[in-house]
Order: sequence, then structure tokens, then C-alpha cells
Amino acid sequence: MALYDTRRRVNAIAMGLSWVAAAFGLGFLALILGALLWNGVAGLSPKVFLQMTPPPGSSGGLLNAIAGSVVMTSLGVLLGTPIGMLAGTYMAEYGRYSKLTTVVRFINDILLSAPSIVIGLFVYEIIVAQVGHFSAIAGVVALAVIVIPVVVRTTEDMLLLVPGQLREASAALGLPRSFVIRRIAYRAASSGLVTGVLLAVARVSGETAPLLFTSLNNQFWSADINAPMASLPVVIFQFALSPYKDWQQLAWTGALLITAAVLSISIVARALSSRRTTK
Amino acid sequence: MNTITIEKPDVKIRVRDLDFFYGQTRALKSINLSLARNEVTAFIGPSGCGKSTLLRVLNRMYDLYSGQRATGEVILDGENILSPGIDVNLLRARVGMVFQKPTPFPMSIYENIAFGIRLYEKPPKSELDGRVEKALRGAALWEEVKDKLHTSGLGLSGGQQQRLCIARTVAIHPEVILFDEPASALDPISTAKVEELIDELSEEFTIVIVTHNMQQAARVSKYTAFMYLGELVEFGLTNRLFTSPEKKQTQDYITGRFG
Repeated sequence: MALYDTRRRVNAIAMGLSWVAAAFGLGFLALILGALLWNGVAGLSPKVFLQMTPPPGSSGGLLNAIAGSVVMTSLGVLLGTPIGMLAGTYMAEYGRYSKLTTVVRFINDILLSAPSIVIGLFVYEIIVAQVGHFSAIAGVVALAVIVIPVVVRTTEDMLLLVPGQLREASAALGLPRSFVIRRIAYRAASSGLVTGVLLAVARVSGETAPLLFTSLNNQFWSADINAPMASLPVVIFQFALSPYKDWQQLAWTGALLITAAVLSISIVARALSSRRTTK
Repeated sequence: MNTITIEKPDVKIRVRDLDFFYGQTRALKSINLSLARNEVTAFIGPSGCGKSTLLRVLNRMYDLYSGQRATGEVILDGENILSPGIDVNLLRARVGMVFQKPTPFPMSIYENIAFGIRLYEKPPKSELDGRVEKALRGAALWEEVKDKLHTSGLGLSGGQQQRLCIARTVAIHPEVILFDEPASALDPISTAKVEELIDELSEEFTIVIVTHNMQQAARVSKYTAFMYLGELVEFGLTNRLFTSPEKKQTQDYITGRFG
């Protein structure tokens, strides 16, 4: 009985510590979201979505930054996703047991956790420094470099979850390998693959560092991807550090917008992946 | 090494001096046997005896994995399917396979069957509908699914899923169907349905079934091969093999002394 009591006490302590740790993490998340809501909502008005970023001291919105973020994030994901999917497909399907896959997986994991500022500097060096000016293209490339390892990872993981039995069953009908992958494995893993892409979108839409060295910023409306382009994270970075009250307010509002967007993307991704597991 | 004495049936597949290797491990040892056309042949034996391995040679399923290889000859209607020039995908269209676990594709019931047909032919919609219905009827599943053809195949029960897989296999008109313990994941009623189906299918197809269940082998097959440790111990008419086995090992196994 004494042994049993000890176990109960140990259990109570471990449980208590876990609660504290969870509350600690969640508490900070709540504080951050609370501060964002409190400060961000105050500046929320149609103007935010209709006007350009203002010079100091005058009023304005975030239209060019929002548009820039949407453009660069979409292009970055469009560029990075196919590369990541193909690499992940190779690793899970064709080269599952090959040396190359082990090496690629290792490097991919490094890339996945590489500080994004390093990626920004890298793209600065290979594009911006060569071309001689900042541009949205460079920003897109930097974001794509961040997208690739995320998509590689989820693609490989999701395809590995597809039961080998299903591949054998497809092969037993006489399906060539590429058919098995495209028509059966991708379909079986579809919600997982979409989740991966959504997570990549969420990941890059808040990135500031890689854009600072590549797309820089733009006070004005620009649809030219060969020129500097504004983006929400960079505008937030610049405005938040400024001494001007209305710039700071816009920074809060921009931060709220990004957070809301990322949160809703994550929720959609979650919903998709849970639908997968309950099916 | 194994002398095979059966009355002369029409041979569909002849296996000659077949050896099989998983890497360095020799899993099949000089197998010789003939599979009769439009009959059911069962492979029985304890776990690890090589019966599934032998089955997977017949449609070269082992090709999917590196490090596995077969030597010897497997003659399907006069053609050695182990020779390098064989198109394995076409071979697998001729030699279909149904697995232990039901493996419906992640698509509708209709598509599960139409998918395979479309791989080889491009029939017009009305003909395709007919082919799907015929396959489902052939697998005794039509009555149960005719009102929900466009719902996911994953929503069916295990036994229904297995019959869907059989329908899918039948739909592309193979010549041989391999069953790898097709009923071991099913309840007794579903098992009975699948066994009945196998019996009906044998009028049209050459059937090979691997089973752990000796009663099942006795019920469904005309010929039985007993394997042990990678060797074919005894092969002959099921009735004869189960009532008066020639080898002691066979007798020990079917009387439940080991395995």
C-alpha cells in the first residue's frame, strides 16, 4: 500500500507541474493575443484597407502592405510548393530507402530550422546584390526557400502514412508507379498535403527578416514585382519602431491582421487534418 | 525433389525450380508445381513457410521491393513471367490479387471499379456503368451498394470492402486471381460470402488462395499445396491430401500437431 501511495503522490506532483507548464505557455499566448486585440482593434477602420501607408504625421492605411504580403506570399508558396512536393514525393515513394533520401532529409531539417534572416541574407547575396536593387522577386524567392522545407517535410510524412497495402493493391491492378503515386497516394494523403501547404502559408506570411533584405519596403502602391514592394511584416517592423503615434497604431492593427489571418489558416489546416483522421 | 502426382489437368501456370531470396535469405527452395486452369488451388502451411512469398511471385509483386529476387521459371500460358522482358504491369492486369486487409481506394464505390477499367480501355459512360454493375454483381455486392455507388468505398463494412476489392480485380478481366488470406480479417458471415464467391469465380478464373485456415482450404479448393520452411512438402487433390496425406509432416500439420 505504501508503494501505491508513493505512486499517487508522484502522480499528483507530475500532474501539477504539467498543469503549471501548460498554464504558463497558454497564459503568455493569451496575453499576447489580448494585447494585440486591445491595441489593434482601436485602429481598425475601412481606411486601413483602402489607403496607402502614410508619411509620418498624416493618416493612412495599410493597403499597399496588405496587397504586397498577399502577392509575395502567394507567389512564394506557388514557387516553393511544387519543388517541395516533388522532393517529398521522391523521398517517400521512389527513394524511400536510398542514401540520398537520408541526406536530403537531414539537410531539409537544418533548412527547416535555419534562422530566416540567414535566408534573407543568402537571397540578398544571390539576387539583390547581383541585380543591384531590391525587388519583390527577391522577396518571393526568399519566402519560397522557407516554404520548401516545410512542404518537403509534410509531403514526405503524409505519403509515408499512406499504407503500403494500398500501394500494393494499386500495383496489383497493373498501375505504373507514377499512376499509383498521382492517382492513389496523393489522393489518400490529400488533406494532409493541403494542410502542409497551409502551414507553409502561415509560416511565411509573418516572416519579416527575409523580406528586409530582399523586397525591402515601398511607401506607395506597386504591382511591379521587379521593384521593392511593401509587406505587412516589414511595415509593422518599421512603424512599430518609429516615434510617431499613428504609425505605431497602424503597426498594431497590421499585427492583428496578420495574426488573425494566420490563426484562421491554422484552424482550417487543423480542421482538414482532423477530418483526415476521423475518416 | 518433390514429385507431384496429379491427374493431368489443363495447366495454367507451371512453376519450375523456383528459388526466392529476401536479400541473402532463401525463402523458397526449388519449388515445382502446376496450377490447374479454372480451378482453386490452396497454399497452406505454418507462418513463414513461404506460401505468401510463392503467391507474390506469381504476379511479381516482389518487384516493388529491392533486394528480393526469384530464380527459376514460372510459365504462364507458355511464357516465363520471370524473364526480364516481361511488362510487369501487363502481367498484373492478367494476374490479379486480393489482399488480406481490404484495400479500397480513397474514392467512391463506382470509381473504385471504373478506375481500373479506365486504365486499359476508354469505354463510353453507358458501357462503363454496365461494366461496373457487372463487376459488383460478380462480387455479390451490387444489391448492397446500388443506391450509394457514389459514396466513399471506405464507408463500407470490412466484408463489403473485401468484396469491392474482388469486384475491382474482376472488372479488368484477369485470367488468374491470387487471394492472400482474403478472409482472415473478416467475420464468419463475410468469410462465408467470400468463400462462396471464390467458388463461383473459379468457373471463369484460375484461382490461387493462401490461407491459414485449413477448413477454408478444404472447403474452397480442389488442389492443395502444403509448404513448410520454404519447401513444397506435398501437393495434390485437396480431398486426398486432407484424408490420406503421403508425408508425415503434412499429416502432423493438418491434424494440428504443429503450426
